[in-house]
Amino acid sequence: MTGVPFVLPALAVLALLILFPVIYTGVLSVTNEQGVFVGLANYRAVAEGRLTATAVWNTVYFVGGSIVFQVVLGTLAGIFLNQQFRGRAVLRSLALIPWVVPGIVAATMWAWMLHTEFGIVNHLLTSGGVVDRSVGWLTDPDIVMPALIAINVWKLFPFVALMVLAGLQTVPHELYESARVDGASFGDEIRHVMLPQIRPVLVSVTLLLMIWGLNAITIIYTITRGGPANRTLVLPIYIYRQAFEAFAFHQAAALSAMFFVFSLVLVWLYLHAFAAQEGRP
Amino acid sequence: MTRGRATFFVAAGVLAIPAVCLFPFLWMGLSSLKSARELYAVPPTWLPHAPTLENYRTVLFESNVPRYFLNSVIISLGSTGLALGLAIFASYGFARFEFAGKRASQAFVLAAQLLPTSAIIVPLFITLRVLGLVNTYLGLILVYMILTLPLSVWMLTSYFRAIPVELEEAAIIDGASRAAVLFRVTLPLSLPGLVAVVVYAFVTTWNEFIFALVFAQDSRVKTLPIGIAEFTGEFNTDWGAVMAASLVMTLPIVLLFFGMQRLFVGGLTAGAIKG
Repeated sequence: MTGVPFVLPALAVLALLILFPVIYTGVLSVTNEQGVFVGLANYRAVAEGRLTATAVWNTVYFVGGSIVFQVVLGTLAGIFLNQQFRGRAVLRSLALIPWVVPGIVAATMWAWMLHTEFGIVNHLLTSGGVVDRSVGWLTDPDIVMPALIAINVWKLFPFVALMVLAGLQTVPHELYESARVDGASFGDEIRHVMLPQIRPVLVSVTLLLMIWGLNAITIIYTITRGGPANRTLVLPIYIYRQAFEAFAFHQAAALSAMFFVFSLVLVWLYLHAFAAQEGRP
Repeated sequence: MTRGRATFFVAAGVLAIPAVCLFPFLWMGLSSLKSARELYAVPPTWLPHAPTLENYRTVLFESNVPRYFLNSVIISLGSTGLALGLAIFASYGFARFEFAGKRASQAFVLAAQLLPTSAIIVPLFITLRVLGLVNTYLGLILVYMILTLPLSVWMLTSYFRAIPVELEEAAIIDGASRAAVLFRVTLPLSLPGLVAVVVYAFVTTWNEFIFALVFAQDSRVKTLPIGIAEFTGEFNTDWGAVMAASLVMTLPIVLLFFGMQRLFVGGLTAGAIKG
């Protein structure tokens, strides 16, 4: 008796849906509409494309900005939810709401709250005297990306909190006790007891956030479609536009292949940086 | 020993978490009950002065949302069922047997989970078009395996591993077949893991946007996220209807999630951390 018959159906489905398209992407990217081999012409066209550099920069900006705040705020929330206080169970459930809400719903509700004329956010800020006049959160080219990052942080910090919480629950109680005997403050406890213990959790969570961030399209596409003036054009939206609005499948395939490699490089750099850090005392 | 900072930290969290997590949701609910006149009033009103179900009437009787809701239910249930079926067998194979290529297969499943989906959307579309599966339920159900199957296999494998193999051996000595062991002994003991997979797969497919946008271009198979995006896509966004439709879409997810939360969160973290 062997396990092969058990795993074969699932592997076959995944191979059909993943392995085959990955290979097919490579084939498409070096051919033209007639199926003739054209070498690297599609890649050259993409690299020379006016919007490619913009899309790469926007993607890095969006992913980097999102991760920093997601990890910091998520860790704080996770530590908070691990404290002893009344109503903790209720707050643990509430904290998951942003993560549970569909991405499209997060997009529409924030788009409405951040509406320049009728949004509640601008009303609160102007009536509170924080800003003089309404801010174009989703229309001002310089503000729209930070606004989208904020929405993305709101959406995913609960996931970080959940994972940090799970990690903290495995921390032996004696560690806290001995820290307290040594007169550690709450800040010391976070720095010297909690963070070192949840470090592996944070590493894998950051990796996941990176991949999700690279893939993020729902919120950005729904709210801005990549605008204004391409300021929120990230790579997935660029690929979508090339393929399904410009119908340039072969260039889109070259772009996909470059995106694929770009993602791998980012992930590799991250793992490498982490492994290097791990070596130090 | 001062615990003052910890107290302050907890107090800040008790205030901030509900405000940050709940307010947008609350505002969506309140907005969905306002008339157009009130929605576009400056300054905005907090509570609706004259609550109305007009927006829900628009969404339920004058739009495609009911049809999209049905499509979403069919596609989500279909892909959840298929992912669960495939994952049960695959996970059992990974958890209980040694065979050539096992490590490579498991690495492939893990890598599949990390794959950037936008990178394969073009060839996937061409493949589906050749197979005649664009704009069909089956096409979307299959494509959603990319999103749900890898993590489902991963979660269930760690669940099956945790079940003492002696229980199964006892059943085999009593003359039970492998299939009987799997369905009568292992699965009943893995109920939390199975629930986690079902909730995860259902929520993921219910919320999915970009595959639906590409592979469902016909209103006969379009899902709810696309329906809501259509509402906002036009120049005159009917924000009241958008809020009502968003709420209609969120409700099943919230009910499902909080109904099974204990089981789901346990199963997910077990798969993610111990796995």
